[in-house]
Amino acid sequence: MSIDSENLISLRINGKDISAPKSHSVIQALWYAGYPRVKGVGCLQGVCGSCRVLVRRAGSTKVTTELGCELLIEEGMDVHFLIYPTPPHQSYQLEDIRSSWEVQAKFHEIFPEAEQCRHCAGCTTTCPKGIDVERGVELASKGRFSEAGELFVECVMCNLCQTACPEMIAPNHVALFSRRVTAYFHIRPSNLINRLEIMRKGGLKVIE
Amino acid sequence: MAKGIPYNIALKHYRPQADRPMPRMEFGEELLHKYHPDYIRENCIDLTVGVNAGDPCHRQLAEVLQGDSRIDEADLAGSPEIETDVLVIGGGGAGCAAALEASLAGAKVILATKLRLGDSNTVMAEGGIQASVEKDDTPQKHYEDTLKGAHGELDRKLAAQMVMDGPEVIRWLIQQGMQFELDQYGDLMTRRAGGTSAPRVLYFRDYTGLEMMRVLREAVSNSNIEVLDYSPAVELLSDDSGHCAGAIFSSLKDYKYILVKARSVIVATGGIGRMHLNGFPTSNHFGATGDGLVLAYRLGAHLRDLDIFQYHPSGLAYPPHLAGTLITEGVRSAGAYLLNAGGERFIDELKPRDYVASAIIRECAEGRGVYAGDGKCGIWLDTPSIELREPGIIEKRFPKLLHLGTKCGIDPRKQPMLIYPTLHYQNGGVIIDQDGASSVPGLFCAGEVCGGVHGRNRLMGNSLLDIIAFGRRAGVAAAKRAHGFGRGPKKITIEHLRNFRRELMLANMPLTRKSPLLFPVYAKFDDDTDYDGLRKKLKIGLSNDQD
Repeated sequence: MSIDSENLISLRINGKDISAPKSHSVIQALWYAGYPRVKGVGCLQGVCGSCRVLVRRAGSTKVTTELGCELLIEEGMDVHFLIYPTPPHQSYQLEDIRSSWEVQAKFHEIFPEAEQCRHCAGCTTTCPKGIDVERGVELASKGRFSEAGELFVECVMCNLCQTACPEMIAPNHVALFSRRVTAYFHIRPSNLINRLEIMRKGGLKVIE
Repeated sequence: MAKGIPYNIALKHYRPQADRPMPRMEFGEELLHKYHPDYIRENCIDLTVGVNAGDPCHRQLAEVLQGDSRIDEADLAGSPEIETDVLVIGGGGAGCAAALEASLAGAKVILATKLRLGDSNTVMAEGGIQASVEKDDTPQKHYEDTLKGAHGELDRKLAAQMVMDGPEVIRWLIQQGMQFELDQYGDLMTRRAGGTSAPRVLYFRDYTGLEMMRVLREAVSNSNIEVLDYSPAVELLSDDSGHCAGAIFSSLKDYKYILVKARSVIVATGGIGRMHLNGFPTSNHFGATGDGLVLAYRLGAHLRDLDIFQYHPSGLAYPPHLAGTLITEGVRSAGAYLLNAGGERFIDELKPRDYVASAIIRECAEGRGVYAGDGKCGIWLDTPSIELREPGIIEKRFPKLLHLGTKCGIDPRKQPMLIYPTLHYQNGGVIIDQDGASSVPGLFCAGEVCGGVHGRNRLMGNSLLDIIAFGRRAGVAAAKRAHGFGRGPKKITIEHLRNFRRELMLANMPLTRKSPLLFPVYAKFDDDTDYDGLRKKLKIGLSNDQD
């Protein structure tokens, strides 16, 4: 494979000046230029949230947050990796919630800061998946867990929203709590239950 | 090298069309023999060292299995030691399921993972999970499909156990808080997979693995399981009877070794995609470098099927920065066709993966592919056809595909995606029993690192089932073994490495190749000055030892 030098793009990653072909992602560009990179690399397909980067494009003062595996390099880009996400600070067990009537009360015990949302939209702005994060937190605070969870189908738990929140809300964990209680209390598929019941009585054995 | 119709020309001639006739083409095993990469015999050698000496093995895998350890006793002087009942190595689906069950059974559990908790192939396995829940389906049918897909060459007891566990695994996942697609009555929805006789794949959009992993990760981090992240395992520990007794980790956070002594060890390190066997791109996670196989083999665990791998038919072939990225088989089970550059179907798209992948390789090898530049060819995954038949289905069922399209500058509702097989799954691995016990006492294994569950070829959706079914079983069994463990003094060392090294020398194998790999070669881990503390500065025979 030969690459014309005219097709190389110059940018800066973690303070290092780098040139790489234009079809490269940020991570590929770093490897191409001969720099080791291990931390902050994950699935390389945009679903693990490991390769969080801060990006400033040429001629712009705006800083955005993106995923380094999906981001194609551009001329004059300035990129910084954000490794070591904030560890979660809440702790809960689904088994400790005795019934679905208790979920909202438990939610406010586990996530007391969720009601303090200032509606600054920091979380929504940082989300690399374009999720309406702030709306999700608001819905969860009102006990509308199923709706809140539905907004976060594409959440990869990159924790950028948590980093952005001045009230230390962990919106992604709020959303995951919302999704989990929805399944834990409300998913009761009759086809599955019937199959389990037949098998519990010793039916449907496999003959090898 | 590769020929084909240039991308732009082929695209100009492509016409969306709802229905296209099934190709009339007979094929059998000879398709595999001629085109499947497993049959490139010059890439297969016989192992010369270890308990599987004489068995066939892929050349690249043999290099790491017969490599030398990254460490010796001197490296461990002064390293911190911790003790636990159960040590789980690997933070994917199998590792988390094992850790949760072992913890529930009362064991003190440490889970160590190479990068972050949840960094694994599980998070990327989006197509779904098999379990026979439909009224026309049975575990027996599930078993027979699995056996057929495997070409008969699997461990029947393991396969039978897995299919019988299926429905209970789904109940367990729902109780962890995982969501599935439901119909209007709240029943689980199912879809077909390649090689299945009934609709049996349960799913959540095209994000099944992501949904599973974020739920299991949250369950683990909210439990009393201690997580060691950024800590790749470099070696197992053994006691004076040669039983497994823990592991040594290299911390990427403080660049030191840590010894974890354990009564039972569960290896759940996943597969080998990032070794890029036969030069293929991969759908695998960055950390999938076969480490668990290497560690288990050095301790004397029996392995099987080391020359059999799965190439997933639909890896993205264009654009290059996303090459190898997986497009779920769910797209084909929803009815998307595979088309060559001439717009013709060339195989039943829902045949087992080994046949479909081989047929794609054949089309490209015989010049009927689409040329994407840089020596790479592919064929069309005709996504517009499913949208024509059922408008809105892609947005509703395949949000990940849509997102991928955005990143490629392609709207999959209007334009087909170019695909080519991508290295996807390690069919072989450590031999286990139904409780995940390997041939080495104290060493349990679960998930992709194991062999025998799927034989020569795994079906879609059986991997997510495998990891939870056997992960849970290994967790329970490991906790039980730890509970009944004698407290007497035991000498815990890396003595087994000395024996393995002696074997390597007797077989005239080079000691210069260090394994496990830990990271793909192109990440340049071994050149990274940050990690000098984790690397021996001396070459064999040259002593500038720091102690």
